[in-house]
Amino acid sequence: MPTRTNLRSAISSGLIAGVVMIYLMAVGIAAVFSERQVIAGYLTLGRVMLIVPAFGVGYLVAGRSGSARSRAMLALVAGVAAGGLFSAAYLASVALSPGIRHVLIRIAGPLLDFIGFKDLGFDPAAGAVLNLGLTAVAALAAGLVRIAPAATRRAILGGAGAVLALTMIEPFLRPRLLSFGFSDFARFVYLKHGLTVSSAAATFASGGLLVAFWPRMRGKARATLAAADPGTRSVLRWAGLLLAIVFLYTLPWLSGSFLTQVLVLVGFYVLLGLGLNIVVGYAGLLDLGYVAFYAVGAYFTALMTSPTSALGWGLNFWVALPIVVVLSAMVGLFIGAPVLRLRGDYLAIVTLGFGEIARVLLGADALKPWLGGPTGILSVPPMIGGGTYTLPIIGEVTGPAATYFPLLGFCLLAAFVAHRLKYSRTGRAWNAMREDEDVAQATGINIVNYKLLAFAMGASVGCVGGAIYATHLQGVVPGGFILLVSITVLAVVVLGGMGSIPGVIVGAFALIGLPEMLREFAEYKLLVYGAVLVAVMLLRPEGLIPDASRRAELEEARGGGGPEGEPILEVISGDA
Amino acid sequence: MRRPSNLSLVDVILWALRVAIVVGVAVGSFATISQGKLSGDQWRDLLVFGVSQGSVYALIALGYTLVYGVLFMINFAHGDVFMFGGMSAFFVADYLSNIGFLNGNPYIAVPIILLTGAVSSMIVAVLLERIAYRPLRRAPRLVPLITAIGASLFISNSVRGLYGDGIKAYPRVDILQGTFDIFGIPVLKGHAIVIVAAVLLMAYLYWFVERTRTGRAMRAVSEDTDTAALMGIDVDRIISTTFAIGGLLAGAAGVLYAIVYNQVIWSMGFLPGIKAFTAAVLGGIGNIVGAMLGGVLLGILESVGPFLLLGGLGVPSPNQLHDVIAFSVLVLVLVFRPYGLFGRPESR
Amino acid sequence: MSMQASADPAQMSDSGGTPLLVARGVTKTFEGLVANRDIDFDIPRHSIVSIIGPNGAGKTTFFNQLSGVYHPTSGSIEFEGTSLSSMSPHLVAGLGVARTYQNIRLFQNMSVLANVMVGRHVRMHGQWYGAIARLAGIRREEDDATRHAFELLELVGIRRSSANDLARSLPYGDQRRLEVARALASDPKLLLLDEPTAGMNPGETRQMTDFIARLRRDLQLTILLIEHDMKVVMGVSERITVLDYGEKIAEGTPAEIRANPRVIEAYLGKQASA
Repeated sequence: MPTRTNLRSAISSGLIAGVVMIYLMAVGIAAVFSERQVIAGYLTLGRVMLIVPAFGVGYLVAGRSGSARSRAMLALVAGVAAGGLFSAAYLASVALSPGIRHVLIRIAGPLLDFIGFKDLGFDPAAGAVLNLGLTAVAALAAGLVRIAPAATRRAILGGAGAVLALTMIEPFLRPRLLSFGFSDFARFVYLKHGLTVSSAAATFASGGLLVAFWPRMRGKARATLAAADPGTRSVLRWAGLLLAIVFLYTLPWLSGSFLTQVLVLVGFYVLLGLGLNIVVGYAGLLDLGYVAFYAVGAYFTALMTSPTSALGWGLNFWVALPIVVVLSAMVGLFIGAPVLRLRGDYLAIVTLGFGEIARVLLGADALKPWLGGPTGILSVPPMIGGGTYTLPIIGEVTGPAATYFPLLGFCLLAAFVAHRLKYSRTGRAWNAMREDEDVAQATGINIVNYKLLAFAMGASVGCVGGAIYATHLQGVVPGGFILLVSITVLAVVVLGGMGSIPGVIVGAFALIGLPEMLREFAEYKLLVYGAVLVAVMLLRPEGLIPDASRRAELEEARGGGGPEGEPILEVISGDA
Repeated sequence: MRRPSNLSLVDVILWALRVAIVVGVAVGSFATISQGKLSGDQWRDLLVFGVSQGSVYALIALGYTLVYGVLFMINFAHGDVFMFGGMSAFFVADYLSNIGFLNGNPYIAVPIILLTGAVSSMIVAVLLERIAYRPLRRAPRLVPLITAIGASLFISNSVRGLYGDGIKAYPRVDILQGTFDIFGIPVLKGHAIVIVAAVLLMAYLYWFVERTRTGRAMRAVSEDTDTAALMGIDVDRIISTTFAIGGLLAGAAGVLYAIVYNQVIWSMGFLPGIKAFTAAVLGGIGNIVGAMLGGVLLGILESVGPFLLLGGLGVPSPNQLHDVIAFSVLVLVLVFRPYGLFGRPESR
Repeated sequence: MSMQASADPAQMSDSGGTPLLVARGVTKTFEGLVANRDIDFDIPRHSIVSIIGPNGAGKTTFFNQLSGVYHPTSGSIEFEGTSLSSMSPHLVAGLGVARTYQNIRLFQNMSVLANVMVGRHVRMHGQWYGAIARLAGIRREEDDATRHAFELLELVGIRRSSANDLARSLPYGDQRRLEVARALASDPKLLLLDEPTAGMNPGETRQMTDFIARLRRDLQLTILLIEHDMKVVMGVSERITVLDYGEKIAEGTPAEIRANPRVIEAYLGKQASA
């Protein structure tokens, strides 16, 4: 029998989960996903969204100490609390319809029907009961998963994750399968934009097995690697490198036009993220106006390469680029110089101010003769040829793929530069400065110069991104350079892990790539960004792929080691 | 390379900036005034508008300054707290208007609306502190700031999701239409109400902080948190109270803002939030009177500035640039005088 | 091992030559509070001198002016003829002044080795472009710095195997020694030690005292110490300066200071000397 305090906290946790469910309903997330099939005909993503809070609370609550029976009971109690609250809110919404729609605009008939299982013939009262039951069962199931032995638990979660992942990539995977001629396979896996029952089951099973055996396989792989002689090891390393290169090279061809466009967008944020990483991650200067450098690069490039711009020089991109980089670095110095003495919060706000000033000026009538006002500058020629060129093996490259290759090149260059800097005297100086500015200065580090250097480098990388952006869109408009870009880049760096290069890549894919795949999310993108930022700071401030020193610094602030302390993708990062 | 040891690139840039600002302001103002682009009445109207808008900024700025005083952090999400008050009060105002109560009993209805706004903002502010800031009290500085940014995004976009994208027009309050005649100056009734309400609220806050026990406790926590705790002050509760008060003021400001602009929208928190922060810094962060004065000053600068500085130079559509004025004030204050007009520099 | 430095102190320091550091009339005020008042202070080359005084006497304030963190409100400080009065701390470090801190201020989240190598920053030349290109000169410099860092770790007595551990994971005594290693990494001429034995037990204190003496002897350093532990001060200093309420009230050899009534009064109050 669980203790009274545990019961009370289970109930309150359940109520909180209920609030989350109500929130998902009221804000419209449940509605937006109610059409997206997970398992065609049986389970929609909307339903999954509503169940996740219940599952989560059951999982968490069952983590307390006690007998298996009491833990399961706690999970059930939490589920009942959550379900009860949610069902009550549902009934209230039904009762207050349609008037409630004037205030909470998402709570419309179709959503309520969806929640109440009207398509199965239930009336609202029965629907409410069913919801309560479903929530309670989900929480209980989660509790049981938590109680289960670790291997089983991981397998189940892995299987579920695999199913979700497979269904989410449907918009990308299915067209590719079809275009490569695998239509039978495609029909086996997907039905009406969701998974078939059989493919769901198969995926669950294989996902589960994979996760279950992963530790063993990884251990064996590591052991083999360690036992191998240096010759074999270097051969393997080169083979891995070659494989990566081939993969990256053929990626646009593999992915098709839509996904290449997504990759290009991700690539921009990787590049920007690498630049901001130097400013925020290495030097510890929180810059909320990073978009200004992006804009400087884009606008200078447009001015210099477009024949119809105010300057009208019509330079070749590659000739203009070095000039633009130098100009950006100077802008970086001009912005950095006055703000050197400012501390964290103030520095952030000042840079935000700079970014906003830039945004307004870009679109202002006052500068229209040079910057083109709200319509911007047009006719920026593409980087290479007329936007179409040929490459060995893959042949003609056009459209987004034409941007992909140079962008990839610059990303690799930026990553290379960032890596070299990190493990050098400069990187050490930045680290020390970030740790304790006064002591670093007393140790002989010229703080002013190193801060300026960080700003200038960050500016240069950002500006290259902007330059490529201008050629990609073949023009620049002020609307593309809003505060949101700065915040998104910051989110990418923070989520991935400040100071971590692989982290930036993962962060960009997560925050930019995923919303593109889950089109329905577009409307809630910012909401998710905000929630992600808060969640990461509260739960894992060192990010997904932490930099070793950063992890230590932030674990200490949390009062000791994190939950598992292990970075998710430590194999790739090579850290620790 | 030998230079006089005190002069560096940074100093050169800063001096160049100072010169540019002084010259720009002088030339622009002179040109505008000598060309007589605006009449005396127009300047006066701009001034009044600036004061009323500045009063709104002042109320929001108080929230920033209070929180900074106790936690030494910038509550980036405070602007969205302000928005939430205005937004929630809208529904009450709309309802009261529909049943005829608003214009039937305005002297009861308007305070009700103000109260709704204030209380809803207070709830959000307290929840914000509890959920997002309290766990991070000992984290390195960057962490709460990033959390605040995330919270700001989350709150504003949640409101967008809950209540929709569009502008919500506040109902007309008949008694607030028209103008008062104050010493021969016509002042829009709406503006006048805003100014009076703001002054009353600020006076109340000042009294609260200076004279009440809780206010004293807040000042103690702001001076030295650990010692205050040792003296028996419940620091957590005081911090919650501080957020609550800041929220109340911001919520009231949200309603007042709606009265001046007649509309609310989910995104209305960002700009006033930044500007209010500017006002708080302008007055000296942590300084209550400074925040009030800074708010009014900024409002005036923002209203009068574009025309004064740029009109004479033949700059088209100077009013587009009023945000630039505000942001420039922010940047300039932080660069040249980060302790504000009423603060004192730390010595080296 | 005896408490005294093993060689005759009078023969160690260049009492005949020009002092390494000359401070005259140094006064430092903070908004009305006078932290240091009109202090004259010389540090003879290759000597070990100490500053003592009750809490709040202004010792650390004086220290901070020697390392450039504070600038004197009036008066002058000259290091080998160069004025420090308005010099930025990093330039002071470049001249050859290194210090440790009363509350340990290591770069906690950097590795032990990195901490020492940062100490060497001011004697290295690698720039960002060199780092990116990994020029041969840079690589050599990094290797040399690494080797030097390991030597220093050995000198201060930190195990080689801890080199990649985070500084914060070291035991307290090792952290103090790491701070010294970091200070030594820049090949300083003057080493400022701010309460190096704070928080140490008698055994560790003895080790540190011997170590300080050894440093001066083996590395030809000049050392200025702030200390509260009288055994250390009396045992290793050639000259002691006493501050009280921001003013210098006495200066002399350990024996002279021990007997000085003003000093006793400052520490123990009027009754004790009466």
